[in-house]
Amino acid sequence: MSPAATPSPAAAPVALRHRRSVRRLTAGQLADLRQAITAAQAINDDRGYQNWAGIHGLPLPISCVHHHELFLPWHRAYLYFFEKALQERVPGVTLPWWNWTVEHAQGIPAAYAKRQADGRKNPLFDSPIQPSGRERPSQARTTRAPGPPGELPSPETVEAVLANRDFLTFQTQLESVHDGVHVWTGGTMGDIAVAAYDPLFWAHHAMIDRLWYLWQLRHPGAGVPAQLLDRALAPFPITVRDTLDVSRLGYDYAAATAAVEGPGRG
Amino acid sequence: MVDRFTTAPLELPATDRPFERADLIFYGLDHSGASFEARVFMDQRGVGGDADTTHRAYVGSFFILGHGGCFGDVGHCDIAAERDPFDLRPAHQLEPAVRVLTVTEPLRALLERGVEAAKVTVTSHTEGRAPNDVLTFETVRLATYA
Repeated sequence: MSPAATPSPAAAPVALRHRRSVRRLTAGQLADLRQAITAAQAINDDRGYQNWAGIHGLPLPISCVHHHELFLPWHRAYLYFFEKALQERVPGVTLPWWNWTVEHAQGIPAAYAKRQADGRKNPLFDSPIQPSGRERPSQARTTRAPGPPGELPSPETVEAVLANRDFLTFQTQLESVHDGVHVWTGGTMGDIAVAAYDPLFWAHHAMIDRLWYLWQLRHPGAGVPAQLLDRALAPFPITVRDTLDVSRLGYDYAAATAAVEGPGRG
Repeated sequence: MVDRFTTAPLELPATDRPFERADLIFYGLDHSGASFEARVFMDQRGVGGDADTTHRAYVGSFFILGHGGCFGDVGHCDIAAERDPFDLRPAHQLEPAVRVLTVTEPLRALLERGVEAAKVTVTSHTEGRAPNDVLTFETVRLATYA
């Protein structure tokens, strides 16, 4: 694959899974997501939600990569392996993305904003924080303190970021937008050490990953600088190169999709 | 660390040098502490500590998702002064950040008013009761693109 690698929507389309907008999830898809998160929360070993959230921040080491040239590849790898862990709980489930550029009046998406869902506790509303992941003993659960919805990024802001042709410039500007949404959400999300414990973290980062995907489609001649391609993305056993083509990771961000069977191979 | 800083006057491009886009690029930003919004003002006059985004000199904000302090023992978050060229480990997580703030229209407005140089004022704002003195950067550069 060349340094200018771009997603290959033509590769194995039937096998791809689709990450969908949070607001467009069907009732069944949302129920699957909640079931997967709940099941992961119930596991206390390295397959469980607490372990995955802790990789980003506390307990030490804090492995996430921010304000750094590997910001986008590292988080793509992080979401990929977390999504795989969820799929072991509920086959076929995918991470949805929170499009914070639209429907600003709503702020936090409804699926994540309600304490209860379907008569039960909503696992997308908040999460426990394991004792070794807390900055202080009282920090037992995630919290949010969202700002005025009108202050979320606008489509024009995102469009200006996507217009950049240089990967590193694009990444720097996208990370600034990303930081703004973390700060806007407030509470746990505004703090790197614990941000990933908030279930909303994954939807926010799926949106960031989606914007990188859209940038790749828009600028097929651009790409990650060659000197970064073989860099490892610790603790994940893959390199930057492995993250460039999401179809190789088994997903895409198709707005709509349909497939039919062909005649087969005879 | 400070909660506001005003630079020396920054030379603006000549009016006979048209541009399609203008960026203020902040280098050497510290991100080891609390998360914050940095509000940026150009050619400010009377930007007080409570200046908000409606101030006439406001040109935009950038955000820093902060590391939130050090959770290790003494020295855990110190950045080595020198780096071994054979060190294949990733760079320290707290290496300074860069932020790019696009200021195309505000710069055009300044030029139309005949301003030839403008001080840049940055104020930092954290959430809740966290102190606001989290701001430090090494350089800010104005770049225009034709």
